[in-house]
This record gives sequence, C-alpha cells and structure tokens, in this order.
Amino acid sequence: MAQVVLKDLVKTYGSIYAAKDVSLTVNDGEFVALVGPSGCGKTTTLNLVAGLIPITSGDITIGNRIVNDLDPKDRDIAMVFQNYALYPNKTVFQNLAFPLQMRKLPKSEIETKVKDAAKVLDITHLLERKPRELSGGQQQRVALGRALVRDPAVFLMDEPLSNLDAKLRVQMRSEIKRFHQDLNATIIYVTHDQLEAVTMADKMAVMNGGLLQQYDTPANVFANPVNMFVASFIGSPAMSLVPLQATTVDGRTSLTSSEGWVLPLSDANARKVAAASSHKIVLGARHSTIKLHKSAVDGAVPARVYTVEPTGDITFVQAFLAGAILNISLPPTAQVAPDEMVWLEFDQDRIHLFDGETEMALRAS
Amino acid sequence: MTSTSATEAPRSRRRIDGWRWGGRIFLVFMLLYTALPMVWMLLTSIKSGFAAMQFPPQWWPNEPTLASYQKLLDPQNSVGQDFLRFFWNSLSVSVVTTILAVAVAVPAAYAFSRFRFPGRKFLFFAVLLRNMFPAVIFLVPLFILMRWLGLVNTHGSLILTYLTFGLPLAIWLLKGFYDNIPYQLEQAARIDGATRFQAFLYIVMPLSVPGIIATAIYSFIGAWNEYIYAATFLTKNEQLTLPVGIQRFFSENTTDFPGLMAASFMMSVPVVVLFLLLQKYFVRALTEGAVKH
Repeated sequence: MAQVVLKDLVKTYGSIYAAKDVSLTVNDGEFVALVGPSGCGKTTTLNLVAGLIPITSGDITIGNRIVNDLDPKDRDIAMVFQNYALYPNKTVFQNLAFPLQMRKLPKSEIETKVKDAAKVLDITHLLERKPRELSGGQQQRVALGRALVRDPAVFLMDEPLSNLDAKLRVQMRSEIKRFHQDLNATIIYVTHDQLEAVTMADKMAVMNGGLLQQYDTPANVFANPVNMFVASFIGSPAMSLVPLQATTVDGRTSLTSSEGWVLPLSDANARKVAAASSHKIVLGARHSTIKLHKSAVDGAVPARVYTVEPTGDITFVQAFLAGAILNISLPPTAQVAPDEMVWLEFDQDRIHLFDGETEMALRAS
Repeated sequence: MTSTSATEAPRSRRRIDGWRWGGRIFLVFMLLYTALPMVWMLLTSIKSGFAAMQFPPQWWPNEPTLASYQKLLDPQNSVGQDFLRFFWNSLSVSVVTTILAVAVAVPAAYAFSRFRFPGRKFLFFAVLLRNMFPAVIFLVPLFILMRWLGLVNTHGSLILTYLTFGLPLAIWLLKGFYDNIPYQLEQAARIDGATRFQAFLYIVMPLSVPGIIATAIYSFIGAWNEYIYAATFLTKNEQLTLPVGIQRFFSENTTDFPGLMAASFMMSVPVVVLFLLLQKYFVRALTEGAVKH
C-alpha cells in the first residue's frame, strides 16, 4: 500500500477545465471519496491517477514515484469500474488470473492467489462461471477480486455501486468498507452519492466544476462546509439556505428579511458577519437544528408550511421562509398541516453564515 | 416471437394463423425458386451426355453415373487437369484475398472505432463511397491501371481488385463489432498490466471473432464467385479461375452438360460448406448493433 499525492493537477479539453489545480494527499491506508455532481471532474481525476487519460500539467505521485508519464500497467494500481468491465469471454477464474498472467507469474502461484482472493470475497463456487451467469452483486465481487488479487499499491473505484439495486447497494457498501478495514488498503473512490462518501470514507474530497472545494473528514465537511456548494451538497435532506440582509443598529447585528422580520445574531455570529464583503448574507441551517413552534416565540421567525412528509421515524416539513424553502425534521408525533403558519427558531451555535457575494462560509476573524 | 404469438393466441388465433400459413407458403415458394436450379444442376451432373439432352427431360436419370465427376477429378485426363488447375487458382486467389482482407480490415475497423483522428468521418465515408457504384463501372479504369502496373494476367490483379471491393463492407462490418465492445474492457486490461496492443490482442480480438469470421466468409465468397474481372484481367488458360474456366471450357467448346453441371456443383461445394458451418457468426455480424445488449 502506498500514499498518493496529487499536486496542482490540471486537465483541459480545449479551453474547458475538467480538473483545475487539484491538490490532495491520500495517506497510506486511507479511504478517500471523490464526490460531486456529474461533470464535476471526479472521474476525470480518477482517470488521471489511473493513467487512462494524460494529464495537462501537475504531478501525481504514487508511493514515492512520480507516475505522470507511466502507462497504467506500470503504476501499480487496480481499478473497479462502474460497469465492472469483466472480460465476458473469460471465466471468473480467468478474469482473476488475467492481471497475474500479464505479470508473468508462475502458474502455481496464480492458482494460489486466485483461490485466496476468491475465498476472501466468497466467490469460490463461481470460479468456473462466465460473468453473464452471475448476478449484479456477484459480478461486483468478481470485479473487486480482480483488483484484490494483484495486491496493488492503490485501489481506484469508479462508482462501483451505482449499477446495483438499492438493497444490494447498502449491503455492498458495508462489504467494501469491511474490505478496506481488513486489507488496510489505500482506496480512492468516486461517487456522486454523498451518502456513500459520508458513510464509507475516512476523508472526502468534494468537487465541483473541476475544482476541489473541500478536503476533510466527512464529519468536518458536514459540520464546517467551506462554501454554499458544499453545504447544500453534503447532507440529506440538503442544508437550507436563506438569503438575508445584515443590519447593525446600536452595535447590535441582525439579519433582516424582505418579509420584514428581524433575526438578532449572537456576538460570535455578529463577528462572522462583520467579515463579510457586503450586506448580503446567506443563512444556512440543517433540518435537525431548526425548532418549530406553533405560536410566536421570542427570537423565532414566521414561516408557512409547504409540505409534510412522514417517513415513519421522522417527519420532514418543508416551509417557505423569505423566498427560500427550509427543511425541518420533526418527531413523527408532530401535528402540522400544509399552509399552516409556524414559527422557526434557529440554534445560534449551529447555524452557518455565508457571504452572499463570494458564497464562502464566514468565519470569526 | 414465440412469446408474442403465445400471449396473443387466444385473442386472435385466426389472424395469426393466416399470416403464418401465408408465410409458410411464401417460404416454400422461395425454397423451390432457389433450390430447383441447384437440384437440376445436381441431377444433370449424374446423367450421361445423351440423357441430359433428352426431350421431354428426365428428372431422375435411368442410369445415374458419376463419370463426369471421375473425369473432372482425374489428373491424368486433360479435362481433369484443367478443372483441378482452375480449382487451385480460385482457391489460392480467394484464400489470399481473404487473409489480406482480414489483415487490413481488423486494424482499420479498430482505428475507425476507437481513435479520434482528423478526417476520421470523411475517411470512413470515403471507404463506403465505392459501394455506391456498380462494380462494372470500374472495369475499364482498373484494367488500364492493372496494365500500367504490369499486373494483367497475374492473380495479383484479381486479389487487389477483390480487396478494393470487399474491404469497405468488411471494415464497416467489423467497426460495428468493435463499437459494441465496451472501451472500459480495454482500460481494465491496461490497468491489469496489458499494453494497449495486448489489450487488443487478448481482450478485444477474442470478442470480435464472430465479426472476423463473417468478414472472412464475405471476402472468400466474393472472390470465389467473381466472374467479370477474372474474365477481363486473365487471358492465359493456365491462370483462369473456376467461374471463367468452367464457362470457357465446358460451354463454349463442348456441349458436355453433365460435365459443366458437375464442375458447377463442385464449385459451389466449398461456399455452401463454409456458409453452413459458420452461418451463425454471419447472421450475428449482420444483426450486431441492431439491438442494444
């Protein structure tokens, strides 16, 4: 296993940046998820690491070698593809043996290694079958096996779960996580599903528009998103963002809405707002940090209920506030009806404030 | 098909059956239309010279004989020598054409399928352009060209010509095959330790075998049956291919109909055998890409 370092990685197609100045370090044994919406550059970045597409500029280091100009076969990597890319004319055994044959290992050693890998993934009984005779989950395991059998420095995984049905996806999610723990493998994992990234990865790299937005542990990304994109992308349901105006009267800073209500800020939040580039402030709040009252309460702001979605253990409420829609989670016993007026109370210690111009999170200076 | 008619049967059995019977009658008619000349050829080939000329014609000869076949396959006999030489000429021209066609079409089709190079679309169109004109249009220009190249009266002129005509469709056929092989398989192979060429050799080639076989059959049959160019480019008797040879030697100078039919029958044997053995690949190649797998 090895460390992977990306330094100022750039990939352009004509004048379009598919990846722009991506720098990050994947430590030995770490599970890193590249996550973002489609077209954000995450798959491009993975293919650059794999060597399947040439880089425009920057450096990729695997272990302690710069691999910029090496062929994929010489980078000591293994890859699991979205559609598994199993060789359809080969049996499972031959699929697993192929990477070893390409490395000219002796036959007896190939057999031992293939059988060991098959045992780890519980596919020993499938070795003589062809890929088309396998279920989606079994194909997924064979694809993992073909990566595992080589004992590579780094595992690259490109949306490996997106072709599975919902139930199997949850099961394979924990299997891949287990696979990572047991092997202490270095894994770079691409996904568009933030839930996969949050649940599986040690660290996540959130990308958008070819740019790396934030690279941190899932907990930190969740708790301290650096900008409005990360805030709205990570977490389900998404963080609610309400555009407001900052006003300071007699040294007291508040947020005011076009609807006329005023939300006084705590001192700590007032200091953050003071660092903003303009009066435009975006208030962010996660669904679980918003309190809902049925009547006016001091410090709460009025909103109108839009929809009520009971899910069993949690009831999600969407409400209109200052032209934005807020997600609020309530216990299933809550009685709320659409179009009802309610009052929302924000937890000053857990709200997020963003600069309305730069979209960056405001930090206390 | 089966499932459709099975589920619809209770509702509209009569209509479906009407279609089915109409279809069968049509197929029987087509079978007679295509098979009868072959049957007549075969039956005539086992008649004596006299029986073949009888009127009204006899379907089954009174005294069936294999004399014509013996004569044609006898290397001591001058007729046999000619026939065997023509057969050998045809075989060598067709086999060389086939090998070259596959050797050129495989890399060309792969390149058209996988690489993005300037002029790719134009070149692919240009490759197919030849098929828009009847082959005979090129007879005189190609003859002049072959004479200029000094290839008249050589088998090389035929091989080159057959390649010009066979390659476009061969490339087009194979490109469809490569288009249907996911590129990620090659990427996977390259990550698994293969060079680009090895990925092609070990992963892509085995998957395109049906296409290659179809291409080979197509080229072989085209070369084997071709008449006009062979009749124009070759004048020396010892170089003639079967279609021309049979026509000149058995229909111009003699009225040996059983001999002519026996030679024709033996000429069609390799094609029929080849096609029967490999037809499933041929059908697959022609329908490949018609549906998404």
